[in-house]
Amino acid sequence: MTVDIIKEIYDAVLEGKVDEASNRVKQALGSGVDPNEILNSSLIAAMDVVGEKFGEGELFIPQVLWSAKAMQSGMDLLKPSFSSGEHAKKGTIVIGTAKGDIHDIGKNLLAIMLEGSGFEVADLGVDVTPERFIEKAAEVKADVVAVSALLTTTMQSMGEVVSLVKGRSLPFKVIIGGAPVDQAFCEEIGADAYGMDAVDGLRKVKELVKR
Amino acid sequence: MNIRVQREELLRQIGYRQPPESRLLKMIDDVLALLGDLIEHKLAFKVIQDEQSLPPFLVGAALKYAGGATLGQKLENKVKELFDEEKPAEAYILDTAGSIAITKAGDALWSRIRQDAASKGFRKGMRRTPGCRGIELDTQRWIFEELADPDLGITLTESWMMVPRKSLSFLARFGGKLKNSFSCEGCPQYADCTLRG
Repeated sequence: MTVDIIKEIYDAVLEGKVDEASNRVKQALGSGVDPNEILNSSLIAAMDVVGEKFGEGELFIPQVLWSAKAMQSGMDLLKPSFSSGEHAKKGTIVIGTAKGDIHDIGKNLLAIMLEGSGFEVADLGVDVTPERFIEKAAEVKADVVAVSALLTTTMQSMGEVVSLVKGRSLPFKVIIGGAPVDQAFCEEIGADAYGMDAVDGLRKVKELVKR
Repeated sequence: MNIRVQREELLRQIGYRQPPESRLLKMIDDVLALLGDLIEHKLAFKVIQDEQSLPPFLVGAALKYAGGATLGQKLENKVKELFDEEKPAEAYILDTAGSIAITKAGDALWSRIRQDAASKGFRKGMRRTPGCRGIELDTQRWIFEELADPDLGITLTESWMMVPRKSLSFLARFGGKLKNSFSCEGCPQYADCTLRG
């Protein structure tokens, strides 16, 4: 029974079936399946495969979003099973679009995937000043600050976010992403990671939180 | 002018080379069915007569234009609404369809400018967008002051971003001698550039 239901939840997340995932998680909890097993063997394991398939060009953004939603529906049901929700919470991320920039699709996609994976997300929206990133990160005790930009003209303020964090020895990691950004720019400004796309961003945030 | 986005071009833009599962095709068709009512596109261009304070790209051109296009605010409001309703896949697909549509609106604007230029005896021209390849982003202000078309419905933020976001602007030049710093041959994208006339 346990193996079957774990596999069914896994499949539902992999296939992005939100209602199916939710119903199966309810069923599993009702049958006394360990929430940790549901979390690790079904939800996280399936989402990891979704990320791999995206990286290999087998899945694309809409399907990844469906899977993220399916995972989130399961996570929401699991949260009460963990004492004060801490076990399910993987970290806190402050996310926003860099100062001067008003484009937010990439930022929104990453925020959804982070939430779907169990992160607490404080979304500051667009045109966010470096100071505002830092202020919010301190307020919510963030693990990671994620800064997005679409244009070469606005990506410069990412460096200011990094400078503030490093200059004040603040305990936040900084990840950057967006069309004009690459690994070389990430290294140039001293950011901790660069996310090539939303799925890669999720993977890098997971790595940063583990460090 | 109607701006239509085909299912196949939307699938290609998202990344699909093979038809995806049927429920995704249905979602795409549903989103595309919305698109017609959400696009309120407007185009505007103007022949630049003033020789004072020209952006460097236009200096020396025999015929000069500023142009702008937008899809309007309705589409963006719907994208936000879909995100707020926790329908991110639909929101993403609609936003992507909007990106294709604004590119088409830009092509239509360029086509009109080229027709206008042809009527004046000019066939070869080129266009450049602020923020790209030597055109400073603050040229946006100059363009929209020149266009001075409140009906276009594009406003600029303090950092020269256009609102609605699915908007574009460009400078276009025909004839005359281009300054070396803007010459096509010096551009890294010369080989596969689609912008040359």
